[in-house]
Amino acid sequence: MITKSEKETIKLGEKFAKTLEGGEVIIMIGDLGAGKTTLVKGVAKGLGITKVVNSPTFVLMKIYQIKVAEKKIRNLIHIDTYRGLEIADLHNIGAIEYFHRKDCVSFVEWGAGLEDYLRQNKISYQTIKIENISENERKIIIKNK
Amino acid sequence: MALESSCDETAVAILNFKNDSFNILANLVSSQVQVHAKYGGVVPEVAARLHIEKIIPLIQTALKQAGKKLKDVDCLAVTAGPGLMSSLMIGTETAKALALSLNKPLIRINHIEGHLLSASEKLKFPAVGLVVSGGHTQIILVNDYLKYKLIGETRDDAAGEAFDKVAKILGLGYPGGPAIGAAAEKAISMKKLSGITIQLPRPMLDKQGFEMSFSGLKTSVLYKWNELKKRLKPTELDNAKCLMAAEFQRAVVDVLIGKTILAAKKYDAQTIILGGGVSANKLLRAEVVDMADKKLPGVKVIIPEIKMTGDNASMIAQAAYFHLLKKDFIDPLKLKPDPNWQLVS
Repeated sequence: MITKSEKETIKLGEKFAKTLEGGEVIIMIGDLGAGKTTLVKGVAKGLGITKVVNSPTFVLMKIYQIKVAEKKIRNLIHIDTYRGLEIADLHNIGAIEYFHRKDCVSFVEWGAGLEDYLRQNKISYQTIKIENISENERKIIIKNK
Repeated sequence: MALESSCDETAVAILNFKNDSFNILANLVSSQVQVHAKYGGVVPEVAARLHIEKIIPLIQTALKQAGKKLKDVDCLAVTAGPGLMSSLMIGTETAKALALSLNKPLIRINHIEGHLLSASEKLKFPAVGLVVSGGHTQIILVNDYLKYKLIGETRDDAAGEAFDKVAKILGLGYPGGPAIGAAAEKAISMKKLSGITIQLPRPMLDKQGFEMSFSGLKTSVLYKWNELKKRLKPTELDNAKCLMAAEFQRAVVDVLIGKTILAAKKYDAQTIILGGGVSANKLLRAEVVDMADKKLPGVKVIIPEIKMTGDNASMIAQAAYFHLLKKDFIDPLKLKPDPNWQLVS
């Protein structure tokens, strides 16, 4: 899919949120400034979260509760491994536990390094790859693994 | 005695309070920045391990420096958030153990509150505070001590985080703040480069409200830089790098100061407070004084000394004093760190 502005990326995130059922782990791949956090903002909006979704780079993980939910999803987990996070770190902050919960959906920015671990531990996941085409255009590829 | 370990600095301070004024008997910070520099950012697992190694010896050194014994400590304070969970835990668990074994009261402090009170000057209320660091970019209305309201924050990246990421794009090294500041200073003395003008946006500056955004600015730098790389010679590129750093720094400072002045006007602030690691930035410090002078004459501007801008434990003790007056203690067994703790009252 191609989006032509930040707004369209947010819209796409909202749409994608409607396909979620709970328990999904989504690995996000894309360069600095690709729009990974922007897409998660859209997902949050689609899930009915009104709180500001901002970069989790510093705290590694932000958890947003969903109060009025149509489905059984109760938490959006937003993780960022930009700073070269290791599996031990993800255990430390409790992130891994959320991957097994049906009432959570987890988005992991810069999560490419996590794929081996997820495969070995038989945790199914999806990938979203965002490619920069121009300053405003993005190519977004969503895959089930 | 206050402990601070929310990110990559282990810090211990011992302060003596008397009639609303205080003496800093010891204020020690053990920084891990060199260790994390090779990773281009703080690695939490490494940070936590170093906090464990450092905290007890640092407490011992602080006591020695203050000429005090552990039993002389009347009250303990500790940063309980926001920050990295695994880092926060080292400080809180140590403080809990000390409070229990010494049977002394324990106060939990929000890291942002510490930054707001990191200068020793008395505040006139209402005050508007700008706290900017690697993890935070917030504008807070302070109606009185202990009365805080968040009125604006970044929608995406923190200002310090943008500095780090832009420094990485430009290949300037970590931490990004000082690296960009140094490159920007070179730009001042540089001759104009023919055919190059670098103009970056000032995100959200023309919008109402106090929300900020730095992610788009980072993306603009990325695109302009990639374009320059294609068409400039290596020697020109070095100069362009300094110009880009200067324009980026200017853009961030314009947005931060613009929003802070706007907030101070709206809430009729008597004081403007600056705090957090990014408040060590020279341009930001100069500009806040300048703009307040021009636009809000009579408003007091409080900027911490450079050594108090980064994370330290003295600011935690200074904030704890106001909680101590209200006997706002917490049962050590009930204290849990909160990585996303919002400062509100």
